[in-house]
Amino acid sequence: MSLEYRIPLGDQMPQTITRPARSITDLEDKAYELREKLLLLCGEYDGAVHIGGDLSSADIFTLLFQYGMHVDPQDLRNPERDRFVLSKGHAAVCMYIAMAIRGFFDYDEIVRTYGRLDSAYGMHPCKVQLPGVEVSTGSLGHGLPLATGMALHGRRNGMAHRVFTLMGDGETGEGSVWEAALAARSNDLGNLVAFIDRNRQLMTSFSEERVRLEPYPDKWRAFGWNVIEVDGHDMGALVEAFDSLPDPDSDTPTVVICETVKGKGVDFMERNLAWHAGSLNDKDLQRALASLADGRKAA
Amino acid sequence: MAATTEQITSFTFGDLLSSRTVIGQTLKELGQDHDNLWVLTPDIGATLVEFRDTYPDRFVDVGLSEQACVGIAAGLAAEGNIPVVSGMLPFLSMRALEQVRSDICYPNLPVKIVGTHGGLVGNGGSTHYAVEDLGLMTSLVNMTVTSIGDPLMVGEVLRQSMDMTGPLYIRLAVGKKDKVVYEPGSVRIEIGKGITAREGGDLTIFAHGETVSQALEAAETLAADHGLDARVVDMFTLKPIDEDLILRCAEETGRFVVVEDHLAYGGLASRISDVLVDRGVRLEGFRRLGIPQVFAGFGEDTELRDKHGYGLTATVDAALAVAGAKGGAS
Repeated sequence: MSLEYRIPLGDQMPQTITRPARSITDLEDKAYELREKLLLLCGEYDGAVHIGGDLSSADIFTLLFQYGMHVDPQDLRNPERDRFVLSKGHAAVCMYIAMAIRGFFDYDEIVRTYGRLDSAYGMHPCKVQLPGVEVSTGSLGHGLPLATGMALHGRRNGMAHRVFTLMGDGETGEGSVWEAALAARSNDLGNLVAFIDRNRQLMTSFSEERVRLEPYPDKWRAFGWNVIEVDGHDMGALVEAFDSLPDPDSDTPTVVICETVKGKGVDFMERNLAWHAGSLNDKDLQRALASLADGRKAA
Repeated sequence: MAATTEQITSFTFGDLLSSRTVIGQTLKELGQDHDNLWVLTPDIGATLVEFRDTYPDRFVDVGLSEQACVGIAAGLAAEGNIPVVSGMLPFLSMRALEQVRSDICYPNLPVKIVGTHGGLVGNGGSTHYAVEDLGLMTSLVNMTVTSIGDPLMVGEVLRQSMDMTGPLYIRLAVGKKDKVVYEPGSVRIEIGKGITAREGGDLTIFAHGETVSQALEAAETLAADHGLDARVVDMFTLKPIDEDLILRCAEETGRFVVVEDHLAYGGLASRISDVLVDRGVRLEGFRRLGIPQVFAGFGEDTELRDKHGYGLTATVDAALAVAGAKGGAS
C-alpha cells in the first residue's frame, strides 16, 4: 500500500522562530556558563546531583538551546518550534539551566527551589509541573519512542520542525530504544534527530568493560539510520555536525553520536565512577570551579 | 452510530457479534469527525483494515514492539492527537506497563488502550491470558478502567471516550464472537456508572465483561429452580468505581456474589470490598468467584471457568450459599 500523505515541504522551514546568531566563541562561553552554574547549584543543594552526566552533555545542551533549535521562550506552544525530548532524564538540571540561559526559566529560582517540596524543578523533568518541558521523562529508554510519536505527528501533518532527543549511551541498552529505532526508520522520519552522549560510563561501570556497545555507530547504521560521529566537547565540530543535518523532510532519521567525557571540565570528576552523582561541599566546590577555570585558560 | 446498530435487525439475548468488527467500524466512523484520531497497533490490526485504508496517514503498525507502540502513542498525544492503541492485553498491560504508567498516565494523556484476551480466553495458555491486568491498571493514577462484554457497548464507550482528557483502558475477551447482552438503546451506558442488567431483591451478582451474560443465565436458573430473585449488575467501569450503586445494592439486597474472569484478588471483587470496608458496610453474605493463584492451563473458556470455580454452576451455587445466610435454605 502506498501512502500518499506527504506534503512537500519545499522551502517551508520555520520562519516565525529565529535562531540567535552566535559565534563558536560565544557558544563556548555559554557552555562555560552552563557548567559553572551547574557546579554552583551542586554546591547549594544538599542532595546528590547527577553532575557527571550533566557535565558530559553540557556542550550538547548548549549547541541545541543556544544555537540549533528553533525555540521561543515567549511562545512555548508555537507549533513551528523544534521539540526537545530529554531521554536521559537525570540530566534535567542541565536542561533547566540551559533553558534558563536561553530565557525560559530563572536560574536563581532553579537554585533556590531545586528538588525541594513543591518545586517545579525536580531531579527528573515533569511537563505538567514545568511548562516548557515537552515530555515527562526519567525512566531510561522512553525518550526515543516518545520523540518518534512526536516526529510522526509532524511528518504526517506536513510540518517543517524537527524533533530532537538526547540519550545517554548507557540507556541504549534498553530494548525500547531499538524498537523505536526500527519504527522511526520504517516511517521515514527524517525530522527526528537523536543526540547520544557517548560518555562511555554507566552508573557503576565503564560501558565497554561490562556492556560492549561497540561497534556502536555500526549498530545504528544497521538499523538504517544516518550516523554522524563528532567530538562532543568541540563546539566548532558540534556546530558543523548540526549544520550538516539532513533537511527535516528527508527520509532517514539521524543519530549524532557525541564522544564525551563524563564529568568533563572538572579534573577530579572526569572518568571517575564516584561522580555519577554527588554533592559538593564548599571546599570541593572551590576546587571544581578552579579546575573549570584552569581548563578554560589552557584552551 | 447507525453503522454499528443497524447490523442488528432483530435482537436475541446471546446473539454473537464480533467486538473487533464493531471497533473497526466505530473507529472508522469516529475518524471522520476527529481528524486527530490515530490508531496504532503492534501487529494486531486485522480488523483495523477499514480505518487503515480510510485514514492511512493516521494508522501506524509498528510490528512487534509494544513498548515503542505505547511510547509513540504518548508522543502523538503530547502533540494534541487522540491515539487508540489496539492489541493483545497481556502484552500491552505488562510488557508496556511502564510506558502506560510513565508516558501516558503521568502526563495524563488521552490515549485509549483497547485489547483482547482479558481472562482465560482464546486457549493460548498463560502467556496469552491477561488475568492480572485489571489489578495493574486500576492501580495507575489517572487511568480509567473498563471491561466490556457486549460488543455494541464497546462502540458506545469508544464514542464517549473522545471527550475524555485522560487515559482509558478497554478490556475485551476474545472479541471474535461476543454475546450481545443489551438490546440497542435499552440501557444507558455511561463510563463510571454500573448498569443494572437485571432487577432483583434477594442478592446482587456483580460481573464485568463476558461474565455478565453468565451472571444473567445464573439469575434465570436461580429464579426458575430456586425461587431466588437475583439482581445482576454489569460493573463495566472498574475505575472510577460506582460507589453509589454498590451502596444501594448493599442496602437493598444485603448479599453479594462477584464473578469475574480475572484473578479473584485484585479485580472487581477487591474494588467492591474496598468500598464496603471504607464505608463501614457489613453485608449478610459475600462470595468472590474468579481465578485462583494458578497458571490456568489450556482449554475452552467455559471449561476453564468450570475447572477453576467461577463458571455458571459455581455462580448459581455461590448465590444459593449467600442466600442461605438469609433464609437458612442452602
